[in-house]
Amino acid sequence: MSYQEKTIAVSLVNYLLILGFYLIRVFQMIQGGGFNSTNVFRLWGIVIVLAIVVTILATILTHTVSGIIHAAKTKEKTTIKDIQDERDRLIDLRGTKIAYFASSIGVFLSMLTFALGQRSLIMFSMLIFFGVVAQIFGNISRLYLYRRGF
Amino acid sequence: MGKSRVRNNIRKLRFFHDEMTQQQLAEKVGVTRQTIIAMEQEKYSPSLELAFRIALVFEVPLEEVFSYDAQAKSK
Repeated sequence: MSYQEKTIAVSLVNYLLILGFYLIRVFQMIQGGGFNSTNVFRLWGIVIVLAIVVTILATILTHTVSGIIHAAKTKEKTTIKDIQDERDRLIDLRGTKIAYFASSIGVFLSMLTFALGQRSLIMFSMLIFFGVVAQIFGNISRLYLYRRGF
Repeated sequence: MGKSRVRNNIRKLRFFHDEMTQQQLAEKVGVTRQTIIAMEQEKYSPSLELAFRIALVFEVPLEEVFSYDAQAKSK
């Protein structure tokens, strides 16, 4: 598994954990009767901050652990190949395109619920849900392209 | 996805250049080893610039490294 693939895999796990956390919190709110704008927007903030902070920390951790493993295996001075060549950039672009597509469908479905008479909180909850799901789709498609060939 | 219509002799040319490793070729042309592997397996068609860089490393014309198989199944 290349360095790029490891980074994508770590990012995928992060987003899956964030999605799990988000869904658990939303269901807890619905069951506990706390599904109101204050709680929902606080959760929005937590999810966005988590996504940024955890992604940065995970990237640093992946870089460090990869470096240690590489040095232990080869007994060489560590030089992590974190360069992005043309194939990496193409795969990244394809993944981003798929993530945007998934995100667009998510925004449309969220707006549709609002248009059909649901509460605005439902729409906002769905927006963040589809935002995270879009990132997961993007990462899965990137991993698929690395494995299958591009 | 899958096999590309662009065929190449990179593996053979590496062998005839003192058994150059994939890593050595990757460093000479400025890509990752994974990209060289993908090209050798014909899963990735390189850009024209990368194709020229590879030909320059082996000091052969571009046509000796890459060819186009129009009869092959499309991607």
